[in-house]
Amino acid sequence: MGVHIEFISQKVLSGKTQAEKLNFILNSVKKDKILVLEEPLSREEEAKLIEKTMGSVSKEFPGIEVSTLGESTEDLRSALIKMLGGRPAGLTVIGPSNLVKQVKKDPNKLQLLAGK
Amino acid sequence: MPFRKILAWIRSIFGRKKTFSLGFYGNVSVGKSTLANRISKDWTGEEFTKVSEVPHETRMVVKKEKVVVKVNGKELDMNLLDMPGITTKVDYRDFVQYGMSQSEAQQRAKEATKGIVEAIKWLEHVDAALVVMDATHDPYTQVNLTILGNLEARSIPVIIVANKIDLKKARVDRIKEAFPQHVVVGVSAKTGENMNKLYDAIASKVK
Repeated sequence: MGVHIEFISQKVLSGKTQAEKLNFILNSVKKDKILVLEEPLSREEEAKLIEKTMGSVSKEFPGIEVSTLGESTEDLRSALIKMLGGRPAGLTVIGPSNLVKQVKKDPNKLQLLAGK
Repeated sequence: MPFRKILAWIRSIFGRKKTFSLGFYGNVSVGKSTLANRISKDWTGEEFTKVSEVPHETRMVVKKEKVVVKVNGKELDMNLLDMPGITTKVDYRDFVQYGMSQSEAQQRAKEATKGIVEAIKWLEHVDAALVVMDATHDPYTQVNLTILGNLEARSIPVIIVANKIDLKKARVDRIKEAFPQHVVVGVSAKTGENMNKLYDAIASKVK
């Protein structure tokens, strides 16, 4: 069986509230999709995503694997970049844990092992 | 976020509390409860939280109040908060491998998910945190980054505890390299090795 990977541009998620954004992500992941987000999640969003995921855990859906590459802190620099219309460098990969077997990362590289 | 930092700074000037809460954060099975018990036993003579080989033994926040640590003539009055381990997945089948029945395993998984939510919510309320890592494992995990990022964003003092240094495979240097911006103390919560260094680090972080 193949693996479904979706690359999500920044435009898809911009304008969404945090709750809408996280719902979009979780609903897609529960449909066995691996998402690659052009705009990385912030650390706060990652924590909220884990919280939301825990509320969805079931026999069929044990959870997610998530990994962010690059800066995703909500510091003054990132806030200024956003205000000036730019976007923080990096990306986030999210997938269902029963599909994404392993994520290995270092500050400059993400490796993902996926399969049924 | 800068607003939060300003607020934390104002609080640090005007809102100094006599007792502070110390949260034990980290992934599952890194030794948070063993460390919390070690600190409690060193200073009160008793343990307060359950330890087990089975993951997710701590499924709700366990509190030990009024632990007074004496370091270099200074007294630190702390409430210890042993947090459930944070992870992005909880599969009940993992518990079945430890001999649990299907229903017991499912119940444990349900409680574990609630515990993780509780631990994340507490990130906003602790005064200082020990982020515990298993020194025999790769420290550069998303859970560690998420925990540290959220504590940093709230300007909560953090010490990284590289636990299990009694094991041959332990590599404290790898944790120091991964998080150079943080104080890292290598300890063995099991044997008590280097605990004095950890008490010194806590005393300098919360002064």
